[in-house]
Amino acid sequence: MLRVEHIVKQYAGHTALDDISISTKKGEIFGLLGPNGAGKTSLIRIINQITGPDSGKVFIEGREINRNDISQIGYLPEERGLYKKMKVREQSLYFARLKGLSKADAKKKLEYWFEKFEITSWYDKKVEELSKGMAQKIQFIITVLHEPKLLILDEPFSGFDPINTDLMRKEILQLKKNGTSIMLSTHNMTSVEEICDSIALIDKAKLILNGTLKEVKEQFRSHTYAVQYKGMSFGFANALWADYSLVHSEQLDEQRAIAHVKLLKGNTLNNLLNAVMPAVDIESVNEVLPTMNDIFIRAVNGEKGGENE
Amino acid sequence: MSKIGLIIGREYSTRVKKKAFIVLTILVPILIVGLMFLAMWLGMEEKKHVEVLVADPRNLCEGTIFIGVDEKNAPATFSFYNDYIDSAAFASREEFQIYDVLITLNPTIVTNKTITGVYREEPSAEAKDYIQDKLELTLEEYFAEAKGLSIAEYREVRQRMKFILKSFSDTEQQDVRDKAQAIGLVFSIFIFIFILVYAAQVMRGVIEEKTSRVVEIIVSSVKPMELMMGKIIAVGLVGLTQFFIWIVLIFILMIGVQTFIFTDIMSPDNWQGINDGVAIGEISTGMETAEMQNQWAIVFFDYVNWPTLIIMFLLYFIGGYLLYGSLFAMIGSAVDSETDTQQLMMPVMMPLMFTYIVSVMIQGNADGATAMWLSQIPFSSPIIMLQRIAAGTVGIWEVVLSLSILTATFIMTTYLAGKIYRVGILMYGKKSTWRELFKWMRQA
Repeated sequence: MLRVEHIVKQYAGHTALDDISISTKKGEIFGLLGPNGAGKTSLIRIINQITGPDSGKVFIEGREINRNDISQIGYLPEERGLYKKMKVREQSLYFARLKGLSKADAKKKLEYWFEKFEITSWYDKKVEELSKGMAQKIQFIITVLHEPKLLILDEPFSGFDPINTDLMRKEILQLKKNGTSIMLSTHNMTSVEEICDSIALIDKAKLILNGTLKEVKEQFRSHTYAVQYKGMSFGFANALWADYSLVHSEQLDEQRAIAHVKLLKGNTLNNLLNAVMPAVDIESVNEVLPTMNDIFIRAVNGEKGGENE
Repeated sequence: MSKIGLIIGREYSTRVKKKAFIVLTILVPILIVGLMFLAMWLGMEEKKHVEVLVADPRNLCEGTIFIGVDEKNAPATFSFYNDYIDSAAFASREEFQIYDVLITLNPTIVTNKTITGVYREEPSAEAKDYIQDKLELTLEEYFAEAKGLSIAEYREVRQRMKFILKSFSDTEQQDVRDKAQAIGLVFSIFIFIFILVYAAQVMRGVIEEKTSRVVEIIVSSVKPMELMMGKIIAVGLVGLTQFFIWIVLIFILMIGVQTFIFTDIMSPDNWQGINDGVAIGEISTGMETAEMQNQWAIVFFDYVNWPTLIIMFLLYFIGGYLLYGSLFAMIGSAVDSETDTQQLMMPVMMPLMFTYIVSVMIQGNADGATAMWLSQIPFSSPIIMLQRIAAGTVGIWEVVLSLSILTATFIMTTYLAGKIYRVGILMYGKKSTWRELFKWMRQA
């Protein structure tokens, strides 16, 4: 759907984007991650053609992007705002028409969304009369009203209460289901795990991680397993020897516990099970995958994936 | 509709729907017409005819006063009473109530040359001069006769000299030109105020979009240049709308007031009042001759080419506004709030203020080198050139050249401002300096 190739952008004195190449698939949710000031917003602005890159190209659906593609993109910026003195309906129609919708078309679509969110009573309110959460909803509607093929959401969940966050997430997933490609920039790693299919992590202007969520997690797996067992915990620990390391153990009740065990020296799960089975009764085994939060911190702190600790 | 059309539409309609706009648009013509008629009315009031009662116990005037043939509109008429009247009687007795002024010609007048009088309500300066003039003349004739001169002889000697002082280089034409230039000055001031008010509105609009963060959404749909131009054009149209409504309303109000309230205010007899009104600022001693007052009427109704002046006013307003408007938009884009604009405004405001001051100083010197140069420099030409056009001392090629330079300049400033604007509007939390602005210009 979207392909970004070798984008370089420099501002006076510093490099904002250093040879960034990413691509997203149609109908997937792509997480664009990175610490503050990493260059995410610069990249998003280039995709939106708000600014131009110093070098590199952006392709949409296989061809190089141009001004006409703007009507195919919906953009929810991180720094959000609406005209405070303008009425909700007028304002929504204005933005929809700036995206190229006809007046009648914009009206019809606006009605659909306002009825869906049950906010038709807000039509004639001025934006300054709305709460922050209400204004955010209007902003979201404005972003998706023209049915863009590519949706770029910068921190879409900030400023929403849990109920509205949930509503937003459902809407985003619904849009994905309808075939919209979504690029999501966020610091909220929980939501990344919940809804993203692929991610890219940018730090200090460079792309340091890229791939599907599964691939990335694979890259950062540490071969640690959570073993739930019934039996004596010191018996379990004794059975491990030097080939395994007991990362962490948690007693569930008097007899049962969960132990996080890391495999060392090329051992497999089978080896681990063979080693501990004589000592305890195993109830369940799961691989402990790193959370996106861990991956984010580790990647930004300079660790590469694929290394065992 | 194209996107820039949409932007113009929004910017225009929100502005003309604002209460402040509507109130100002309606109130200003009412005020202008109101003040104009107030001035005329006061002028008429001042010209109230004065009835003078001359208490002349020794009959020095022999019951008559010499009145010239051309004085149909004399501000006073004289009546005589051949006895003393004390002021208490003048104040209270009914038979004297029709008189406004009591003059007593005391017999001592022969030696002390003093005429005294009392009034109920102070007569205008014009009436006072007239009364003094006529009494003096009559008494002088009496004294002349007493010394053995015939009245005819005396009148021959006494005839007033005309005193005409004119510029060495030029003739009457210069006077007319200066007056026409003064009318041009009114347009200069208009343009100055319009540019200032509307360019500042552009700046405020840009800052508002920036602080409310709405700008990022808009520039994801339209080019920053389109947004800036849309805003500048829309605000300019608001200004022109206001101007046209003012002209139309003033015209309608003038006719209305004239027809229904002061039916005779426009009659030529009252033009003197208009001329006095226009002459405010001139040194007015009350001794102005009718000739001089007529000159204003000539300048106003014959000399000044109003259609040309108004068309030029529009052209120069548009040019000057686009020039300064783009610079103000640029400043707006570089700051986060209006309070941060001060430092950046300085270099833009300076030429504007300077020109404004110069425009007053070059009165009477529409042909001078200052006026000539400043009417070509694009930062001052919108304000200065109109005076020269009004004065009629400017060649067509000068106007064409000045307008061309102005056009080329505003195209250039708009282009450069656009470059700075597109960087500035996305730059938050920074108080920018001119140096940074130039850096952005190169960057974009």
